[in-house]
Amino acid sequence: MSINQLILRNLKKNLKNYYLYVFALVFSVALYFSFVTLQYDPAMSQDGSVKGSAGLMVASVLLIVIVAVFLLYANALFVKRRSQEIGLFQLIGMTKNRIFRLLTIENLIIYFGSMAVGIFIGFAVSKLILMGFFKIVNVDEVADLHFSMAALAQTLIVFAGIFLLIMATMYIFIRKQSILSLFRVTSSTQGKVKKLSIWEHIMGILGIVMIASGYYVSTQLFEGDITTINGLFIAMTFILASTIIGTYFFYKGSVRFVSNLLRKRKAGYMNINEVLSLSSMMFRMKSNALLLTVITTVSALAIGLLALSYISLYSAESLAENRSPDDFSITNEEKALAFSETLEDEGFDHSYRQVEVLQARFNVEDILDVDLEDMNFNVENTTIPVISETAVPELDLEAENMMMTGYNDIMQSYISLKDNGEVEWLSENDSVKLSYQGLREDYVISSHYTVGGLPIGVVSEEQFMDMKEKLEPSIYTGINLEDDSRNEAAFQLFEEAGLADGIEHRSQWYVETSQKQNMGAVMFIVAFLGLTFLITSGCILYFKQMDEGEDEKDSYTILRKLGFTRGDLLRGIQGKQLFNFGVPLLIGLLHSYFAVKSGWFFFGNEIWTPMLMVMGVYTALYSIFGLLSVLYYKKVIKEAL
Amino acid sequence: MSLLEARKIHKSYGNKFMKQHVLEGIDVTIDKGEFVTIMGASGSGKTTLLNVLSSIDRVSHGSIVINGQEITGQKDKQLAEFRKHHLGFIFQEYNLLDTLTVKENILLPLSISKTDRKEAQQKFKVLAEELGIQDVQNKYPNEISGGQKQRTSAARAFIHEPSIIFADEPTGALDSKSASDLLGKLSGLNETREATIAMVTHDPVAASYSSRVIFIRDGQIYTQLHKGGQTREAFLKDIMKTQGVLGGVSYEH
Repeated sequence: MSINQLILRNLKKNLKNYYLYVFALVFSVALYFSFVTLQYDPAMSQDGSVKGSAGLMVASVLLIVIVAVFLLYANALFVKRRSQEIGLFQLIGMTKNRIFRLLTIENLIIYFGSMAVGIFIGFAVSKLILMGFFKIVNVDEVADLHFSMAALAQTLIVFAGIFLLIMATMYIFIRKQSILSLFRVTSSTQGKVKKLSIWEHIMGILGIVMIASGYYVSTQLFEGDITTINGLFIAMTFILASTIIGTYFFYKGSVRFVSNLLRKRKAGYMNINEVLSLSSMMFRMKSNALLLTVITTVSALAIGLLALSYISLYSAESLAENRSPDDFSITNEEKALAFSETLEDEGFDHSYRQVEVLQARFNVEDILDVDLEDMNFNVENTTIPVISETAVPELDLEAENMMMTGYNDIMQSYISLKDNGEVEWLSENDSVKLSYQGLREDYVISSHYTVGGLPIGVVSEEQFMDMKEKLEPSIYTGINLEDDSRNEAAFQLFEEAGLADGIEHRSQWYVETSQKQNMGAVMFIVAFLGLTFLITSGCILYFKQMDEGEDEKDSYTILRKLGFTRGDLLRGIQGKQLFNFGVPLLIGLLHSYFAVKSGWFFFGNEIWTPMLMVMGVYTALYSIFGLLSVLYYKKVIKEAL
Repeated sequence: MSLLEARKIHKSYGNKFMKQHVLEGIDVTIDKGEFVTIMGASGSGKTTLLNVLSSIDRVSHGSIVINGQEITGQKDKQLAEFRKHHLGFIFQEYNLLDTLTVKENILLPLSISKTDRKEAQQKFKVLAEELGIQDVQNKYPNEISGGQKQRTSAARAFIHEPSIIFADEPTGALDSKSASDLLGKLSGLNETREATIAMVTHDPVAASYSSRVIFIRDGQIYTQLHKGGQTREAFLKDIMKTQGVLGGVSYEH
């Protein structure tokens, strides 16, 4: 038989073995190609309002890294599976170089074959993705795609590079092996079965303690205890380091430590679930500690970023309401009148609302909860916008009382106001004491007055008149359209009147739309990367399980001979998979929960719905891989006897 | 009283065109409390016979009755249930789970049959003492010697007091001292517990520990030897003589 025939025969025989590798390849090529196609698509770059292309660029680099690691890993697993065959070739006198050449040709055919398929699928899918993208960012455009040669070239170059990398690792693998070790590689268990050492006990406890302390500090991060930028930086570094190292220790030691405790309590009497899950986990998780740590950290990152960007997308509406409580907020009376007339002329029915705003100085030391010395903020003399009670619906204040209205969560996390107390209005030569009555939620005037987040003071009409004598009021005008669906058309007029430049005047509709577009683009990219990561890490865990399944086949044979039914074993496997997939997922979710919890208010004002939705979708997709692996085990168990 | 009764069992592998007959109509009867050895050259079908008798493999046709229960027609699940309660196994490669300690390995069959925890500990204590493995009970299989592993395997086979124990080349991977030690323990348990043991081996010394030896050749029973009242040494001589006759390749032209 000539060497070419051998290659062909091998290929045919191994295709069954390779199908997952092929799947991994097709999948990553499709993903990458569709991504690059999007990147080169004119619709992406021409549309200036969608600042996606720079983000896409960064993402595509990240994508290469993920895909490369994934493919290298998959390849390593499959070479390991064929080590016996390689040993046999050596035994019959082939040189290592010859074997390498043989495998290279074989790989070449499979690799570039699946690449062609991947590119085809990628092209088909990219249209779908583009449609989804336009949907998210609210761009009304028909998604039509052209086959981009540039994208094709880039994909080919990148994957050829990865191929070289794979072949290099394969070469090293073959080089390093002797005939004997090649025969043995599949049967040698990962990590010798040993007793728990003291070091592992320490590591086990340390892992849990470190994660917990990281979480604790993260909840304290923006509570106001840490007020300097330096302190914040140190705290963040600490959180990152302690959770990541803690996660590593957790897999390396804690899992074993805890399962060992459970096991001791059983005094040797273990049921099938415990036999399959506890004991195998104890020995497997340790050797996979690094891999699992990486998977956990990056999935936490993906979930966290997705949740945050979804939070900001989700909060776009309320953000717009904070910035501009009315459809149009204009801070200049004449311009407001002119704009109102233009609207009238063009046939837009609208209401008109004016509020007088004073910028008054106050001593608010008494009602502040935190001392803000470091924050460049003088509590004894601070400027606050003040309006009269008449501007706030359903509010009636006593003469000497004052309320605050309008707050957001960022401000709330830095400055917390007491429920009541005393404030002092400081005019030029004297001061008036007012009794502070509490905080209301809604913003009544546009963010131009509130410098982004300060609350607005509300005083009684009489008091307001007094203050007005000493201070020059400015007039806020809010214009509300009768028909909300005509906002876009009205915004055209707003723009033509020159009101859309700068941040003095605002359109609620425009703030919301632009926020949605920006965050939509970010969200899309993060989602794409997150999905890639989810699928690749799911695949890696699945491959790992396949590998373990083959290794443990003997155990299943023993157990079945002893009289465990297939159902018994399968139940045990389900328990085991619940741990294998569930533990990294759970830790990832917890990490991201605490990450999101600590700083979500910078991104929006609704946390639970968007975060839980992201987590739910992630978990659901992730579970698919767990289910697939159970199905695979089912097959292994069936064949075990 | 016969515990196991196999009638006319046939086993063949392959498809219609390429059929390989491994067992060709074997009749075996094993009485309660007997220690029976099945001997034969490589390829004679002795391991297949054991697998078939122990319900791990299925017969092509024929009937096997253990403890009054016909096992040939049963479903996988019923067979598993049957093995759980009535059969014990000892294998050449020990077949211990690497990830479990000695004690956990031994208690495994009890956990399937959901035996009471206290009772399980009690049974373990007695058996571990008898087999001399109480010192290694918390060690993992890769930390103990081959002899200890095989004794662990034996303990696992005995612990749930099965009707019959099947041993496939139990001494195959052991040095002679551990082997005779194990066989001594096995025949001891056979006597004290009246356990029924069916063992496959090609080692005449191992066979001499049993009370009856069945010789198989080309899928058929060649002959049987009973120990009767003779000493082990005399029985061993008999066995070796028979094996000499049996082992030679005959050219029947």
